[in-house]
Amino acid sequence: MTQETKQLNIWYQSARTTAVVGAVFAGLFTVLLVVNLFGSAVLGPSRETRLAAMQHQAQKDPTNETLLSEVRRLDLKIRQDRLWRLDFAERTAFALLGSVIVLLIAGKIAYDLGKEPPRPQHGTTDRGEMQVREGRQARWAVAGGLAVLAVGMTLLGMMGHVRFAQAQDAEPPFASMQDKQGQWPRFRGPGGAGVSAYANIATSWNGKTGEGILWKTAVPMPGRNSPVVWKDRVFLVGADPNARKVYCFDARSGRLQWTGDVPTVPVEEPLELMEDTGYAACTAATDGRRIYAIFPTGDVAAFDFNGRRLWHKNLGMPDSAYGYAASLETYEKLVIIQYDQGDGSEGKSKVIALDGTNGRVAWETKRDLPNSWSSPVVVEVEGKPQLITVADPNVVAYNPADGKEIWRAECLGGDVAPSPIYAGGLILAIEPYAQLVGIKPTGQGDVSKTHVVWKMEEGGPDICSPVSDGTYVYLLESADLLICCRIEDGHKLYEQKIKGDFRASPSIVGDKLYILDMKGVMRIAQVGPEYKELGKCELGEECFASPAFADGRMYIRGVEHLYCIGKAQ
Amino acid sequence: MADKQENVTRRKFLRDGLWGGCLAGAGAVAGLSVARNNRDNLVWQIDPYKCIACGNCATYCVLEDSAVKCVQAYAMCGYCDLCTGYLVPEPKALDTAAENALCPTGAIKRTYIEDPYYEYTIDEALCNGCAKCVKGCMVFGNGSLYLQVRHDRCKNCNECAIAAACPSQAFKRVPADQPYLLKGMDRKE
Amino acid sequence: MNPFVHIAAFLTVLLAAGAETQGEIRFPPPEFETGYQFPETTTPAPQAVWREYLDAGVLVFALLLASHLVFVRRSRRAAFVLMIAALLYFGFVRDGCICPIGAIQNVTLTVFDSSYAIPIAAAVFFVVPLVFTLFCGRVFCGAVCPLGAIQDAVLIHPVTVPRWLESGLRLLAYAYLGAAVLFAATGSAFIICRYDPFVGFFRMGGNWNILLVGVCLLLIGLFIGRPYCRFLCPYGVILRNLSRLSKRRVTITPSECIQCRLCENACPFGAIREPTGDWPEGEYKIAKRRLALFLVLLPILPAGGAWGGYASRGQLARVNPRVRTAERVYLEETGQVEGTTDVSDAFRATGQTTQVLYADATEIRDRFGVGGALLGGFVGLIAGGKLVVLSVRRRRTEYEADPASCLACARCYRACPKEHERIKKNKEAAARHR
Repeated sequence: MTQETKQLNIWYQSARTTAVVGAVFAGLFTVLLVVNLFGSAVLGPSRETRLAAMQHQAQKDPTNETLLSEVRRLDLKIRQDRLWRLDFAERTAFALLGSVIVLLIAGKIAYDLGKEPPRPQHGTTDRGEMQVREGRQARWAVAGGLAVLAVGMTLLGMMGHVRFAQAQDAEPPFASMQDKQGQWPRFRGPGGAGVSAYANIATSWNGKTGEGILWKTAVPMPGRNSPVVWKDRVFLVGADPNARKVYCFDARSGRLQWTGDVPTVPVEEPLELMEDTGYAACTAATDGRRIYAIFPTGDVAAFDFNGRRLWHKNLGMPDSAYGYAASLETYEKLVIIQYDQGDGSEGKSKVIALDGTNGRVAWETKRDLPNSWSSPVVVEVEGKPQLITVADPNVVAYNPADGKEIWRAECLGGDVAPSPIYAGGLILAIEPYAQLVGIKPTGQGDVSKTHVVWKMEEGGPDICSPVSDGTYVYLLESADLLICCRIEDGHKLYEQKIKGDFRASPSIVGDKLYILDMKGVMRIAQVGPEYKELGKCELGEECFASPAFADGRMYIRGVEHLYCIGKAQ
Repeated sequence: MADKQENVTRRKFLRDGLWGGCLAGAGAVAGLSVARNNRDNLVWQIDPYKCIACGNCATYCVLEDSAVKCVQAYAMCGYCDLCTGYLVPEPKALDTAAENALCPTGAIKRTYIEDPYYEYTIDEALCNGCAKCVKGCMVFGNGSLYLQVRHDRCKNCNECAIAAACPSQAFKRVPADQPYLLKGMDRKE
Repeated sequence: MNPFVHIAAFLTVLLAAGAETQGEIRFPPPEFETGYQFPETTTPAPQAVWREYLDAGVLVFALLLASHLVFVRRSRRAAFVLMIAALLYFGFVRDGCICPIGAIQNVTLTVFDSSYAIPIAAAVFFVVPLVFTLFCGRVFCGAVCPLGAIQDAVLIHPVTVPRWLESGLRLLAYAYLGAAVLFAATGSAFIICRYDPFVGFFRMGGNWNILLVGVCLLLIGLFIGRPYCRFLCPYGVILRNLSRLSKRRVTITPSECIQCRLCENACPFGAIREPTGDWPEGEYKIAKRRLALFLVLLPILPAGGAWGGYASRGQLARVNPRVRTAERVYLEETGQVEGTTDVSDAFRATGQTTQVLYADATEIRDRFGVGGALLGGFVGLIAGGKLVVLSVRRRRTEYEADPASCLACARCYRACPKEHERIKKNKEAAARHR
């Protein structure tokens, strides 16, 4: 071996060794990077889940000091680990780069030194034949490549895609006023009238024996709100100081289909409310596509009929003396909230309309009125919709589409809780303990002197809303008294003593009056100028909520159960 | 022979024509680009009014330490004692203890100013862009904490990986001389 | 004290009409008594615009230098040094972004979307290498492109890829180019950027899946020269076709070819074509018939491809985020799927009607119908054209570098004895001058 060959050999050997060393280091650094990646992708999240669980535990067990220090230790470890890993990854990446460069340089040198010099092959090769063969192979390869792409495209084509049905678009995003007439979409039904669209409602049942009761389901959380019915679904709202829920029951079987949760804003101290009002006083409302609920914490939420929460927001805690209790109303796709607060001087009260599909404010109208506990109603007057609200001292009507005031009448006082109704061409509003007022809703602006047709000043209920069949209007006091007046002129036709306490508002089914007392006893009377009791049915449970009516069925919420009363089909 | 010559010249003519066409094409592209150009560069930025604080910014950035960080709009901040962006929901106490803090990396610093106001600032070296504080502030507070792409860190990729993964398409290209979409008191939808 | 007032002191009511869930000022900013000043939100600036112009300048300079080194100096070593310098600057210093390959998409977007204004640097990066290729062949690939450079740098033991495999795999590059243009034109995605295997190394970070692909490509690249350049690069597709028309071509020999065959295995990228030989007797007739067949096939393949591309429009369109949103929302609305995702929640928060969403998605799908058909037709045309070209008889008398495949890396020069003669002559001339 010549000197040169020996030297070359040494270079070759050292280059090869260096290359191998470089490769080993590169491999080592790659492994380190992979381990680091594993650490941040797997260990990190698992530690975080553990921390979250421990924090949850610590909240339930506030005095456990060791747990608390464990939480802090783990939190610090996670943070430090994250920073360390970032640093480590960066340094190892540079080290890897360095070792790869060494590997490449040494490898190239080794290859160059160890390479055989180029040598043409001996013996003739038939170039022509070789080229023909190569050409044929290439053509088949191209055809093969094309075939592969074609198969790929065919597979893609076969996978199909979601087709958007045209019919979807034709359906409006809300139910029409007509559709609402046949359902029970809000507190006391369409227009808040408390009048059932169906006359085929049971007139006798017994909650204790189960006679006449189609089903009875326990409601997980309490609330004084009334059932809302839309086709084959019944909705209720329940809440306590820490949670707010919306329930959907199947109308046929009574099974609880889904429970919707409504989150709230964190507060320093949990809300304390009057027991009479409770945490779920407001009845839900539906526009035929979504169900809306509001709570005395100021939280509003919307769910679709499958239980998916679409949006929720917090309007700020309402400043309401007895706890916020106004139920919701809907108009087209808007959900309307009567947000009366304070004493009227601070300008806090307003009527808010939210877009039901996304919760955005569609319009908001301030009003200089104090807190109230009545619910707004949307009625159709001479073909045009009006949103009627009652408070002290004004009854105010707005255009529900844009919130502009149509008319107002100064005629009330006190803590207004009964809601208004539209019957016999008049808006009927109540001042508790004082009067029933009949107002013609066809005016504009301040109609206090012009459109207040009559006042019946011999007292009025403080809680229950009135009910009317167009001729007679019935007022139910919270204890022991039923009053009947004539709509035409407000003349009181009779006063009937009925032993019992009443929170549920009375309802009219066909030509019968349904009155539900707090013990769960329903008295059925004849609608007319004289009181005639037709029957009495016992539910066997306390009731605060007003009943809801559907075709052949009535839904009553007791303090613990939801009852469906009717005849089996 | 003459035939072949003609063929060669015809082929050469075709080739030259094609060559000229390609050059003209390149010129056309250049011209169009000059006509519709942005002399300045375009950079990525988050529209804070579209952001839903989903947390993708922390994980989708090509950099290990995401270029998206939380920023504070001090003029919009309420300086609340009970900061829903700083504290966990239902905190045991309104302090800086680890069990009460929402931020997983401890990037929000809470400083007492005067009663009952506290200042909240973000330490960008620690922030990972997870948007937990943004969500808390957006839903229950004033929305003064929000995410922005920080251009001293961002590599300005031709296609931003976070932009591709953003569920609300909140990323947009903005001119490099106005690279931030800041929240202010007067900014409406 | 009344608990409500106490709590109300903490949570105040909404302000004026029009405030929404996001960014509502629920808690009015305080009036400080201690004279505290609101700090400003910091706004660190992005890189200065002159850096873009500097990059463009460096690109032009590098291309000029590369042309000189490959055609005048004919030095592999110098070209290699330039290539490493370009790798370091365009790759590691400038993070490999923006590159001419990605610029295809920017230019496409400029053509199809009038609201997009292309940065000047991106336009320069796209056009300048093309112009150089029309004059000097693929000098950009050989000595300037950072993606090519990183593959070239890891090539240690080149292994020859059989010709037929090369022809087949190259269809992938055409399909990639077509797809990239389609997705960029519809504003759906920049797939070249998304699936760039090497940019992760340059900027030291990225999606782990793509980094893994990059590592695999580099491991392959240890043995098979420049796999991305030859079989995947969409810009390479454009350059190879322009290079066929270039004014100057790379020649292995500086003077004439003496048929010594020493350069046969000198190109690691399979770009050297040997002189043609005579075909066996019957072959010519078969070849003529075959050519006729492929010419007939020439309109059919693009038609078939167009149909296939049109049929795939549903899946192709799903690359577009608007279409994905529409599909998800539709599935939720019709109850075919449980729950919601961030995407559908975010859509509902915008307040847009589903009508608008579905209409947008349908319009995008229609555009993909046209684009998909064009993509399929394009790939079909290329394949059909390649079949025709492969049936035509070539005539070569010398060992040549195929202008389309030659990456102008100057490796093959040293294999030629004539080159060694030239170098010796230059040395002697230089010695004589002293």
